[in-house]
Amino acid sequence: MNSRELTFTERLYIIEVFKGLWLTSRHFFSNMKRHLARQLGLNRVERGAVTFQYPEERRPFSHRYRSRHRLTKREDGSPRCVACMMCETACPAHCIYIVAGEHPDPHIEKFPIRFDIDLGVCVFCGFCVEACPEDAIRKTSCSKILAYQSTNSPSSSSAISLNKGRANVDGILILS
Amino acid sequence: MMTSLTIEVGKVLLVLIGVLNLAAVLTWMERKQSAVMQDRIGANRASILGFRAFGLFQVLADSIKMFAKEDFVPPMGNRFLHTLAPFVSAFFALIGFAAIPFGNVIHLFGRDITLQVIDLNVGILYIFAAMSLGIYGVVLAGWSSNNNYAFLGGMRGSSQMFSYEITIGATILGVLMIFESMSLQTIVQAQGELLWGVIPKWGVVVQPIGCLLFLVAGIAETKRVPFDLPEGESEIIGYFVEYSSMKFGLFMLTDFVETILIAALVTTLFFGGWQIPYLTADGFHFPGGFTLSLSEVAVCLLQVLSCCTKVFFFCWFLLLVRWTLPRFRYDQLMRLGWKMVFPMSILNLLATSLVILLLQ
Amino acid sequence: MPTLTINQKSITVPDGTTIIQAADKLDIEIPRYCYHPGLSIAGSCRMCLVEVERIPKLQPACNTRVSEGMVVHTNTEKVKEAVSGVLEFLLINHPLDCPVCDQAGECYLQEYYMKFGLYESRMDENKIKRHKAEVIGPHVILDTERCILCSRCVRFVNEVSHSHEIGIFNRGSQSEIGLLPGKVLDNNYSGNVVDICPVGALTDRGFRFQCRVWYLSETNSICPGCSRGCNISIHSNRQRPHHAEGRRVVRLKPRFNAEVNHWWICDEGRYGYKFIDDPSRISLARVKEKGEFLVLTLDQAIGRAGQKLKEALERAGRDSVVVIASPQLANEDLFVIRKFWGEDLGLSQIDFRIPNQNPARGDDFLLRADRNPNTRGAEAILLDENGFDLTQLLRREDSRKFQLLCLFGQDLTKKLGVPWAEKFLQQFEYVIYVGSNENETSALSHLILPSATYAETEGTFTNFEGRVQKIDQAVEPLGDSLPTWETVSKLARALGYGYDYDNAEEIFGELAERVVEFQNLAYEKIGDSGVEITDVSKMQVK
Repeated sequence: MNSRELTFTERLYIIEVFKGLWLTSRHFFSNMKRHLARQLGLNRVERGAVTFQYPEERRPFSHRYRSRHRLTKREDGSPRCVACMMCETACPAHCIYIVAGEHPDPHIEKFPIRFDIDLGVCVFCGFCVEACPEDAIRKTSCSKILAYQSTNSPSSSSAISLNKGRANVDGILILS
Repeated sequence: MMTSLTIEVGKVLLVLIGVLNLAAVLTWMERKQSAVMQDRIGANRASILGFRAFGLFQVLADSIKMFAKEDFVPPMGNRFLHTLAPFVSAFFALIGFAAIPFGNVIHLFGRDITLQVIDLNVGILYIFAAMSLGIYGVVLAGWSSNNNYAFLGGMRGSSQMFSYEITIGATILGVLMIFESMSLQTIVQAQGELLWGVIPKWGVVVQPIGCLLFLVAGIAETKRVPFDLPEGESEIIGYFVEYSSMKFGLFMLTDFVETILIAALVTTLFFGGWQIPYLTADGFHFPGGFTLSLSEVAVCLLQVLSCCTKVFFFCWFLLLVRWTLPRFRYDQLMRLGWKMVFPMSILNLLATSLVILLLQ
Repeated sequence: MPTLTINQKSITVPDGTTIIQAADKLDIEIPRYCYHPGLSIAGSCRMCLVEVERIPKLQPACNTRVSEGMVVHTNTEKVKEAVSGVLEFLLINHPLDCPVCDQAGECYLQEYYMKFGLYESRMDENKIKRHKAEVIGPHVILDTERCILCSRCVRFVNEVSHSHEIGIFNRGSQSEIGLLPGKVLDNNYSGNVVDICPVGALTDRGFRFQCRVWYLSETNSICPGCSRGCNISIHSNRQRPHHAEGRRVVRLKPRFNAEVNHWWICDEGRYGYKFIDDPSRISLARVKEKGEFLVLTLDQAIGRAGQKLKEALERAGRDSVVVIASPQLANEDLFVIRKFWGEDLGLSQIDFRIPNQNPARGDDFLLRADRNPNTRGAEAILLDENGFDLTQLLRREDSRKFQLLCLFGQDLTKKLGVPWAEKFLQQFEYVIYVGSNENETSALSHLILPSATYAETEGTFTNFEGRVQKIDQAVEPLGDSLPTWETVSKLARALGYGYDYDNAEEIFGELAERVVEFQNLAYEKIGDSGVEITDVSKMQVK
């Protein structure tokens, strides 16, 4: 690697040392000022650190952020999914498990009797959304994908499951 | 007899407890200060009943952890020396503080009490002796661990500390020549004088180059970044690689105690020790003729406070340096020591002697 | 023998050949829906239009006979435009419900659209709605919306199965496929209409929604359903066990073999794969102790079988041990059985023939009355001049006790009836059952060793005409089960004989050397269509 030739002042080092100390102490004092202002309640907007204290503080995500899956529904509330297995096929993580069943309406014909996404395995690539020919799966801005236990079973609490025509996430009904 | 013994023991305990507590606080400061410098927040999780105190309890949690950990001695190592090493290190780092004055002589209960554990007329030599003996801790730890990395760390540590101690000695000579004493109390008292009636005659004013060189050599003595080659966390781990539990804790404590010692020495030798500019025994005498008289106790308290503040500031400064500069390579360290810092300190000494000779 | 040129390649073909047949020989692809080599020519789909020089209009390749000096082009702009136009017409009323259609992935509408269509839809009208998901027989379901009226299925039921169940009704855009009044598509060859349907109009009820076709792996094999030895391809789902309720073998498809089954297979063979992933499969070795079966490791079980065999031979000699092999086993399995029991142990009581009390019936097309795939091979390998006949043993009335019976997969209870089978088995001190599925006979035995099914092993079957055909391994053996030749080899090793076969090919090599009917055969020469064994009776006539 060709590095730049150092100038005389740089080679003296001591000047650069003071420059560096100036930089770091400037950061120290400006951050301390912000921290103090925040602690004393004078300024709650400016932050002294770029890091977030995760469980208590949440970083605001862009509205374009796409994370957790959602299954869309027909007008009557049944899932749009027809169990074509396109998302399952496209999924590079092999985390989608669909079992198809016969729908009573012959013009719908096929529907998923099981639709599980193992979020512990999912890589959030969005291929499933791209692959879907029915616009039946979308991704939402919801970033709360938390579980204290990971299990081998994809229908665990870290999975989206769809039972009896309802999209279920941790037992909470998702409405499209 | 009993009274003077009580006073002496009181002073010893005051300094010992003060230094150890400051060292503990420094471990917290190190983490928090580096975090603030790097736009982070730093350790803040340890809490007692949900009360977090900005992470101060981390120190407590760390020490509990240290005590609770398994005390491991390498099976092929020398058990006796392995156990001795951290105590040697910590002991010689701590006894240096005996010669540091933290206040003037006060008259109390009809006695003259020097605010210093012991006013040695060879105080500075005593501190250097203690610092030199501290090297044994490092060497013993490296050797007794029966680990190549530890041994390499120990060797690096000893050669680095020997090299920079020579510089420290040569740098100090300038100060000693100007203040014509080896007693630290005398040196501090001499720094209370004013040059041309305005500027305080602090070491840094009469020996600016010496002050800088002393700081450099002092940081090298503490074995901390950018001179942390004996430790080198990212390469050899260093002389304490085989240490765990509170023995390792002692080494870490020694690091911080040495930092405080260097901060105290810089304060004492170059920044007037407990002196406050224009403050004499009966109050402030500003150059414009303005005076503010104070009682003797108030003056004394102010001076102690001044000493503590200065020491604390230099601790902060040393941490700032530690979190700003990258580590030297070993050859760079030796070249800096022998080809730059040491010759400059000799030149500084020559210039000082020349000026003193001309002024006589 | 006219010579013609198709796309600058020339070929000489017999008189009466059509252009599409000549093109197939040259591996030139001409799209087609209604043409099928096994059926009469309808010429109704118009997908196979080609340009013939000196004929102004495009000609259907399926229905135009070749003539001397004919020059055919299949990839000109004119042809492409015509094919694309035909596809557009065919898709006018097609529902485009590929996501729910089982044919997706092996559908010729999809295939040819991607190859020759690729146009923007210009269809403004509403599509005509028709019947969907109409069950027309025990195995087939009809979707009239997806049908393109190629009439392959109609010709099949008229020309191949001669059962005449399906016809095309109504006219114009109302035309649709349907059952003839009072009929149900219920004949032993009904599954073939699913294979020949180029679109998703006729789909399989058993396979419906079980698994997507692109998850399937294909393995060449031979149907074990009867002695015809129809060539099949095993479609197995190895990657995604949550489909098809965990069954690994999902369906069987016929494979073309001009000497055996052409394009067809009977329904009995097509749906006869279910025992492979049935809950009754034996995956672990078991031993009966105090009336209860306990699970053993395979090595323990082999060790116990070896110990019982040794004891029997020492106590009562060779005549106290009987081996009943099975014509369901491959030639290699049978040869290792003959070699170990017959040659090394010197037993003479080895047979596979059991008088079936409920004989099956064959038909005049493919299905044979003998429901075993390898009777001919078993006869050639196991039967020799000493003339042991199991039937005599079975009909015996005296009460002499035997020591050991080793039974390879034959369900005696089913073939002989329960009383006879129980009476027969009670003559033995110890019964070892080596098989793939549990049945009443295995329940009466003392030691059960798991064996692999034909889909889990490789080897060869010999059909009734003496054609040796190869089966390949489609899926891994279930649990502890092993191919029968491996089980027998292990048993032989337990008794101190050096059996170290690595694969079926090695055994077949030895088989070809040692058994006269198999002489001059080699495993790698069997190929896709099989080879015939030497007929010893004809040899003697010479």
